[in-house]
Amino acid sequence: MATETPEAPRTAEDPQPGGPTPGRRPPGPRATAAARARSARAARRRRRARPWLLLAPALLAVGTLLLWPLGRVVWMSFQDYGLREIVSGRTNFTGTDNYAEILGSSYLWTTVLPNTVLFAAACVVLTVVLGTLVALLLQRLGPFWRNLTAGTIMMAWAMPAVTGTYVWIWLFDPLNGAVVQSLGGLGLLDPAATNWFTGRFSFYAIATLNVVHHGFPFVAVTVYAGLLTIPRELTEAGIVDGAGAWQRFWTITVPSIKPVFLVVVILSTIWDFKVFVQLYLMPGGNGANPQVLNLGVWSYVESFAQRQYGMGAAIAVLLTLLLLGITVGYVRALFSESSGEKGDRL
Amino acid sequence: MTANPARPVSPTRPGRPGRVGTAVATAALLAFTVLPVYWMVTSALDPGANTRGADPLPSGVTWDHFRFVLDEGGFGRFLLNSALVGAGTILLAGLLALLAAVAVARHTFRLRTAVLVMVLIVQMVPLEALVIPLFVQMRNLQMLNSLLGLTVVYLAFSLPFAIWMLRGFVAAVPQEVEEAAYLDGCTWPRMFRSVLLPLVAPGLVATSVFSFIVAWNEFVFAFTFLQDDAKFTAAVGLHRFFGQHGNDWGPVMAGSTLITLPVLVFFVLAQRRLSGGLAAGAVKG
Repeated sequence: MATETPEAPRTAEDPQPGGPTPGRRPPGPRATAAARARSARAARRRRRARPWLLLAPALLAVGTLLLWPLGRVVWMSFQDYGLREIVSGRTNFTGTDNYAEILGSSYLWTTVLPNTVLFAAACVVLTVVLGTLVALLLQRLGPFWRNLTAGTIMMAWAMPAVTGTYVWIWLFDPLNGAVVQSLGGLGLLDPAATNWFTGRFSFYAIATLNVVHHGFPFVAVTVYAGLLTIPRELTEAGIVDGAGAWQRFWTITVPSIKPVFLVVVILSTIWDFKVFVQLYLMPGGNGANPQVLNLGVWSYVESFAQRQYGMGAAIAVLLTLLLLGITVGYVRALFSESSGEKGDRL
Repeated sequence: MTANPARPVSPTRPGRPGRVGTAVATAALLAFTVLPVYWMVTSALDPGANTRGADPLPSGVTWDHFRFVLDEGGFGRFLLNSALVGAGTILLAGLLALLAAVAVARHTFRLRTAVLVMVLIVQMVPLEALVIPLFVQMRNLQMLNSLLGLTVVYLAFSLPFAIWMLRGFVAAVPQEVEEAAYLDGCTWPRMFRSVLLPLVAPGLVATSVFSFIVAWNEFVFAFTFLQDDAKFTAAVGLHRFFGQHGNDWGPVMAGSTLITLPVLVFFVLAQRRLSGGLAAGAVKG
């Protein structure tokens, strides 16, 4: 048995862990090595099965509620699946028509895809830069201010996306919102003629502010935890060698915690490609203004407003493939970064 | 010429201009972070919220908006529904995730890495991709308009991350403690109950807080599944309320405050354990 676990051979002599305790059922004087070997085998079998028994409920839940629906969404994406098909339960395969229609439409290439990619890119860059700056700031603070600041930025993280979005809408409200009113008070713009929610760029600028505000604490906390693992001597050696703060950051800090940066960049990328609530709840974001949809919202609107479930499923599949590509890139980067002994850090 | 030996080289003790810069940056950060929460709470208390403009202070303090959303808006019912769904999710996710975390952290078996990678990949699946088939599935099971159906869905979503976090806490328990229990004649279930469970309890609390927040904050599934006013969770209730009283910002902010405050309190209480668990889950093998 080449794949034998390290503990397993030991079980043969020492059946205690997990197995039936020999003290309770002592082998009779005649019970020979054969019986003992049999009970040891049973113990080993139980020990080998236990992880799977422990995993079974979780795997069952994940399988029926995540993996099976994921298969179904692919299956639906090859059909013209509408309300009639849902009610009757019949299938209506149309091959790759949905995909052809989506990939052939200029709406995807000129509006939805640029919205999705540029918005996600802006959010990731700003979130990671701001989060890293905050982590560096936390490092410079004394214990009291550090705990206070860390606790406060956690509030931004904890704020539900739904209520956070409504607060940003209120702040940027075209009539009475604080931002319009204060800029109008300074004479910078005319509040009566301003509505930032109708313009594609200003709509996404507000959404970016919302997402970055909500996302930077995770980056800050994670990068700060990474900064703590950098040996102090490295930084001091950099100072002794006359490296400035900028140079030390790029030559010492970044290489030392590159895996941490990879994790936060990729997780942020995945989350920001999937942004839904922050866009859907904004004025016009629920499909009323087709200029401001991203892939996720488009898929939802096609399905539940237009009742084109097959089309919505196809869009969702494309989004999933995009994210899968990013994930594979992430895992590969992580493994090539820490090949060998660090590989099992995952 | 190398560094002046009289000057401390520690990067954590910068000179005076550095200290001023740090103070300014900290103040700006705190202001940026707190602004939405501050604006939400003060608008909820402001009797003239709609005409507040950019006034940093509310024009007065009133509980009328809160009274309005609780009496007329039905927020009491919405908050109760959210709490029920959250409690169900905590119980189920805590149990299932703990068992799975023990399997992944303690037992070396084939496919262990595969299970972990699956946990990661599952984390990446966009919810919009799942809401369509799950809507059809739940519709066929007649569970569309039920809080139980929602709880089961949230269980699946909080599981991967809960396993990921708990794994770190389980791995932190020394193997010797378990072996000592076996030597004292414990069977595996006994060891689990009397040794492992008390030791990972803090991690379980942190994970439960996380699962609760996932359930409390979730919008897409609740919005798609629930059709009956009496079944709405708080997030969906707020959306409906905003649709009816869109430009009445005092009550909208009062409703938002009622939804946000429990989460903030939970989060701040569990903050350190949560971030500790995140780091442990990510680093410890």
